Amino acid sequence: MTDTGYVLAVIALMALVTVLLRALPFIAGHWLRRHPMVHKLGASLPLSIMVLLLIDAAAGQARAHGGLPWQELAAVILVILLQWRTRQPLLSIAAGTALYVGLRAL
Amino acid sequence: MPRPTSNTLSIPSLTAPVAMGYIPLGAVFGFLFVQAGGPGWLALVSSLLIYAGAAQFMMVPMLAAGLPIGAIALATLVLNLRHVFYGLSLLNTLPANRWLRWYSIFALTDETYSVLTALPARERAPRMALLSALNQGWWVLGTALGAVLGAQAQVGLTGLDFVLAALFAVLAVEQWRARRDAVPVWVAAAAYAAGNALMPSQALAIAIALCLLATALRPARPAPAAETAHD
Repeated sequence: MTDTGYVLAVIALMALVTVLLRALPFIAGHWLRRHPMVHKLGASLPLSIMVLLLIDAAAGQARAHGGLPWQELAAVILVILLQWRTRQPLLSIAAGTALYVGLRAL
Repeated sequence: MPRPTSNTLSIPSLTAPVAMGYIPLGAVFGFLFVQAGGPGWLALVSSLLIYAGAAQFMMVPMLAAGLPIGAIALATLVLNLRHVFYGLSLLNTLPANRWLRWYSIFALTDETYSVLTALPARERAPRMALLSALNQGWWVLGTALGAVLGAQAQVGLTGLDFVLAALFAVLAVEQWRARRDAVPVWVAAAAYAAGNALMPSQALAIAIALCLLATALRPARPAPAAETAHD
């Protein structure tokens, strides 16, 4: 993190990738909409990817401390239940993270 | 979608809930970035130029590990792919002014998208740019607060970076709420298990490829009636 040039290059490239993805539907939306494959991917892929990222992030935490991932499991379940019931992302994230930090401190 | 209209239409009432989320989450990002050894001004540059919460959280451990730039860009591509599908449903509701239009596209985050879709279609275009700018303002403000705190704090809380997993869980719940389709969840779980069995260090990349393949090959679902709501 001390190499400013490297961090700036990463930020610039991430910014470019993000804005291109956000702009794509407005540039090529009418073309994209006509393709059934785009609809199919749009219907399922975002949920699949979020679940993958969730598993990977939780597994990464578990790998870092070794042992069984019961702390990760408990905190993820809490986040999912809270978000499902309350629709308050901040509450869900804060409560889940607080539970996780607490369990790790035990 | 019937929603209480009279009190949800003013800009402050639309941006206030986003502020409640973006200031603390931005602060956690700034805090983690500085604690990982990054200078505070670069955390601010990230929030000004990238402005994608999940991607910014993901970038911190990747930068700390000194991963190749290409690998971080690829991870960003996968993570932010969902934004393509957001834009498709807002296609005809952009501000008329060219600069405001481009800024609104740049700043189309999950939260701005969900606030916009709660508005009637004709109300969206005139409010989009100001709403987006306010929302990004909260995110940048939070980042600055967190970076200042992170520069002073001596002890890192073990497990604070769980905020990334929690954010993914929230986004997954919201994707589920929009579609109520269990197949993508099982496909993802099976794909990750397969990736982990094949090559644990590349489990995520393999799993993403398998998910793409499975989704492309899946027989089309009968279109639900609600799908016609392209306004």
